[in-house]
Amino acid sequence: MNAQLQPRRNWLVNGIAQVGECGLFFLAILAALPKSLRYLREICRQVWFVGAMSLVIVMTCGLFTGMVLALQLYYTLSIFGGTAALGTVVALALFRELGPVLTAILVAGRAGTAVTAEIGLMRATDQIDAMEMMAVDPMAYIVAPRYLAGVIAMPLLMCLFNALGLFGGHLIGVTWLGVDNGTFWGNMTATIDLWKDILDGVWKSVAFGAVVMLIAVFQGYTTPPTSEGVAYSTTRTVVFSAIVILAVDFVLTAFLT
Amino acid sequence: MSRAVQSVESAEASLVQVRDLRTHIGGKTVFDRLSLDVPRGSVTAIMGPSGTGKTTLLRHITGQLRGDSGSVHVDGEDVAALSRNALFTLRERIGFLFQNSALLTDFNVFENVAFPLRQHTRLPEVLVRNIVLTKLQAVGLRGAAQLMPSELSGGMARRVALARAIVFDPMLILYDEPFVGLDPIALNQVLRLIRTLNRTLGITSILVAHELAAVRQVADRVYLIANGKLVAQGTPDELAREATPWTRQFFGGEADGPVPFHYPAPDYANDLGFAGGATR
Repeated sequence: MNAQLQPRRNWLVNGIAQVGECGLFFLAILAALPKSLRYLREICRQVWFVGAMSLVIVMTCGLFTGMVLALQLYYTLSIFGGTAALGTVVALALFRELGPVLTAILVAGRAGTAVTAEIGLMRATDQIDAMEMMAVDPMAYIVAPRYLAGVIAMPLLMCLFNALGLFGGHLIGVTWLGVDNGTFWGNMTATIDLWKDILDGVWKSVAFGAVVMLIAVFQGYTTPPTSEGVAYSTTRTVVFSAIVILAVDFVLTAFLT
Repeated sequence: MSRAVQSVESAEASLVQVRDLRTHIGGKTVFDRLSLDVPRGSVTAIMGPSGTGKTTLLRHITGQLRGDSGSVHVDGEDVAALSRNALFTLRERIGFLFQNSALLTDFNVFENVAFPLRQHTRLPEVLVRNIVLTKLQAVGLRGAAQLMPSELSGGMARRVALARAIVFDPMLILYDEPFVGLDPIALNQVLRLIRTLNRTLGITSILVAHELAAVRQVADRVYLIANGKLVAQGTPDELAREATPWTRQFFGGEADGPVPFHYPAPDYANDLGFAGGATR
């Protein structure tokens, strides 16, 4: 083989091998899930950490996203004289797309990196080995509760993101730009379908929670036990999460609509 | 038949038996047909130059690593053949003191020591409290129960880790470099604890350490490992008197010997470019 191609081939092979390892790691998490239900307190603590601690950033971003959406869509709709549909369009964009995707990216940046760094440092300071030595399965005690917490917290956070987004849209559309309040909400509630629009978004959000936390715990668990290793792993968590969220979003949207 | 009887007898005499252990990690031979016995109730020190796999040997004993061939028996059980559940059951009877203590940073000292109890038993809180405080009293840190690991000095952290390691009254404790980075006071405290635990509770101890003076005070037997093989064994005093190249270098602290001072390198003059210079 051409010697110049060798590094590139290794890069590719390593990449594929890592995806395979990540898949096996996912199976190991699933296998550890029943045992991890024993650690209910730990799961609650992690839901609090992933969920409650992300509230401020998720809600702030939700509010501004809704406000920007209303401004932009009002401008677009006014070209066609359709500003009455503002509420519907803002809500559809939030429920079906922006809510799940932006929440997932925010959680990956806020909670995913924290989980990666935390598990990585546990690895570097032998805490994971110590648990193994105390006959406590780290997959059940450390990894699975964090994973589960992400899957539980993500749709809840998304709902709050959407609620604040709608409030922001109302603030701009009705209070500032003068769309009729009844029209804004009436058209919205008449068009939005619980199963098709809202629950589709919830399923997406659950799926994003599953992939973001898988990436976060996998990167943390396989971190090289050095400060440089932990730094690289947290970066990789954000980068991989962002790519995978958007790719999964495309696939899910294609299947769900 | 007689072999079986013999092996049962030796299993009774020694808690840990390593037989013909061969291990390769990353293409490097770590152990080459290593065999040794750790008698019940003894303090056994494993010594050797850095990088000879002393910690790796401990990981074999706990079943975290498996050898390529040979066997490791702990209390008569072949560690490599155990299922994960059986291994966890065995580990409940083994205490492990990590070099960097490995305390759980989320919990305070009390909860760190209570952690194994809470995970494996459903004891009432009063009993957990009493057991934990007894163990902390044994290492002299009952007063530090509410401190977080980040508030402890290195010596204190190691004593807390020791309290955690003995919370289940194990049959065996493995100490991975327990004296590293301790000031003389802390070193003596840890030394005294190791001796007390062994003498009063009869806990078999395996000690990986470099400090000859400390090992002389506490160990009944020393195994000197180098290049994956056992190069010397005996009581600390016997080894200190022995005059093989290995013991001379290791216990005499000579810079050069079987363990070379220089890392393998190409010819020095060549490296500096003098070899070509002479003919120019």
